[in-house]
Amino acid sequence: MNRWLTVPVLLVVSAGALPAAPVYPVRAAASTVVFEGRQQGERFTANLRSFDAKIRYGEDDLQGSSFDVTLQLRSIDSRNAERDQAMATPDWFDVARYPVATFRTVAFRATPSGVVADADLTIRGRTKRIVFPFSFVRSANGATLDARVALDRLDFGLGAGEWSEESMVAHRVDVTVHLALDAPAAPVAPITPPKKNKK
Amino acid sequence: MVRSLHWGMLVMYAGMAGAGYWMTGLPLGMTKLKVYALHKSFGILLLTLALLRLLWRWADRRPMAEPSSRLTVLLAAGMVVALYALMFLMPLSGWLFNSASGFPLRWFSLVNLPALVAPDPGIKVFARTVHASLAIVLITAVLGHALAAFWHHCVRRDATLRRMWFSRRTLS
Repeated sequence: MNRWLTVPVLLVVSAGALPAAPVYPVRAAASTVVFEGRQQGERFTANLRSFDAKIRYGEDDLQGSSFDVTLQLRSIDSRNAERDQAMATPDWFDVARYPVATFRTVAFRATPSGVVADADLTIRGRTKRIVFPFSFVRSANGATLDARVALDRLDFGLGAGEWSEESMVAHRVDVTVHLALDAPAAPVAPITPPKKNKK
Repeated sequence: MVRSLHWGMLVMYAGMAGAGYWMTGLPLGMTKLKVYALHKSFGILLLTLALLRLLWRWADRRPMAEPSSRLTVLLAAGMVVALYALMFLMPLSGWLFNSASGFPLRWFSLVNLPALVAPDPGIKVFARTVHASLAIVLITAVLGHALAAFWHHCVRRDATLRRMWFSRRTLS
């Protein structure tokens, strides 16, 4: 995520003011995507170390807001080499065929408890529309985006067949997302002057 | 009671050795995980029973050993220490291996036991080596123990082995 990505965006939007839903560059080193599962009754945590997120957000412009995330499934680290290897096999994430999972918002809605997103989550080739509640907190030097969703691994065919037995691996998986975001780049002077009769 | 423990644990150790040898080669799957879970559960059971036996040994009066030479008494004492140490070191090294690998430890689907250490590749290799090596040592020690018992029975022709058998008649 760097300044260059934001340049074409700013050229599209009228110059002078911040776009209503600006792009917030993600600070990868300070951001985490973690999922928690339960194996034989014991909780384990896995870090999804490598992902790429494009966050465009503004409460005043939910139409123009979007979260677009690509997660590298080979980067899963559950602090257990055997389990990580097992998760890569065809029974689970099948990373040889499906190296990435994707998360794309479809729409944002204002609800009494805050803004939530409807998003398409694709894992192992299966897409499921999920409700994604999140908190977006701005600070002096950027913002943080936090979210927690509960998923059912069988919705994505993870550990189907003999692994579907719940006593060994629970069906429920809790995903926690924490993104540290830099402030949107300040608008730059347009290279071509905006047309006067645009509206 | 003590003799039930002795023979019962022997059966379990035999099963543990067999399962331990077999399960490591199994392909990754539900069967493998279930055999591992059983191996771990029985391991914890054996650890508890070993503790029980040790306490018993302290608390209870032991029957006199059959008269023997100084060398055999020394050998026997050494063997007892080795067998008791192994009864503890086997399950403990297995537990350590499990913890260092980052696997859960669920005792017979009843209760989860804490990890001894946090996941650590170095400790994992160490504990696996200890667990596998001690398995060989334990098998050798048990065979030596059995050989000694047969020696008492067949060569010395004393009551040592018969005393360990269940029948009351042979006790007199």
